[in-house]
Amino acid sequence: MDMLWMGLCMTFIGVAVTAMAFVAATRPRSSTPAVQPELPAAKVAPARFFSDRVAASIPLQPLVPIEVLLYQIENHVRLEQAAAESFVAFPTQALLHSKTTSPFVN
Amino acid sequence: MVYELLNGLSPAEVDQVLALGTRVTVPSGGSLFRLGDPADRLFLTERGRIRLTLPMLVRGREEDILIEEKSPGETVGWSALVPPYRFTLSATTPLETEVIALTREALCAFCDSSPAVGYKISMNLAILVGQRLQLVQTMWLREMQRTVELKAAGVGEHG
Repeated sequence: MDMLWMGLCMTFIGVAVTAMAFVAATRPRSSTPAVQPELPAAKVAPARFFSDRVAASIPLQPLVPIEVLLYQIENHVRLEQAAAESFVAFPTQALLHSKTTSPFVN
Repeated sequence: MVYELLNGLSPAEVDQVLALGTRVTVPSGGSLFRLGDPADRLFLTERGRIRLTLPMLVRGREEDILIEEKSPGETVGWSALVPPYRFTLSATTPLETEVIALTREALCAFCDSSPAVGYKISMNLAILVGQRLQLVQTMWLREMQRTVELKAAGVGEHG
């Protein structure tokens, strides 16, 4: 009889521990909807990161004098024209897709 | 002086064609024509240099970007022989430059009266136009290729 009671007690304890473990395990899942509203905030961070990059690059541009920029553009045109002339003189895919050395686009 | 447009013509024929034209001296910093102007004459460069430019918006400001430079003997303004007879570039002179201006009317009339000369001039013109087409086509494709590579790498795509 004692053994029977002991077995019942152990079963109850086991069930109780299992139930508590189940509740503990399922609580985060049930609270997921509460966390979800924070996700958009987490998405905003990368957007801010990218916008920071853009904002950081914009102030750099005015540092290049317009004369230098125009020189770079014209130099780029010259180099591309030379590359095109090489291709026209001897057309190959390698020449057509050869990488430009122009600093304007590199 | 060897004029690319008159290549293959005899000296007498060259003289006949040149006699149709008018010598024009453009001062340093001057303008021969602007993009969009009616093109009723083409120019054989005699002396100096001609800058062919296209307008480009740079930081919101229109800037003339050098596309090509022409030296003595080279031809400028063949739009005068190709409909709709409008210049598609602007031509300026970085230094005092002398050109021989040939009107379309005079040149066409001469070619009509001398078909053999007209044929040679037409062939030379076809070479000029063809070379420009090949260059521009190649440059366009290279720029497109670069754009495709940038797109594929996700560069320039924000948000």
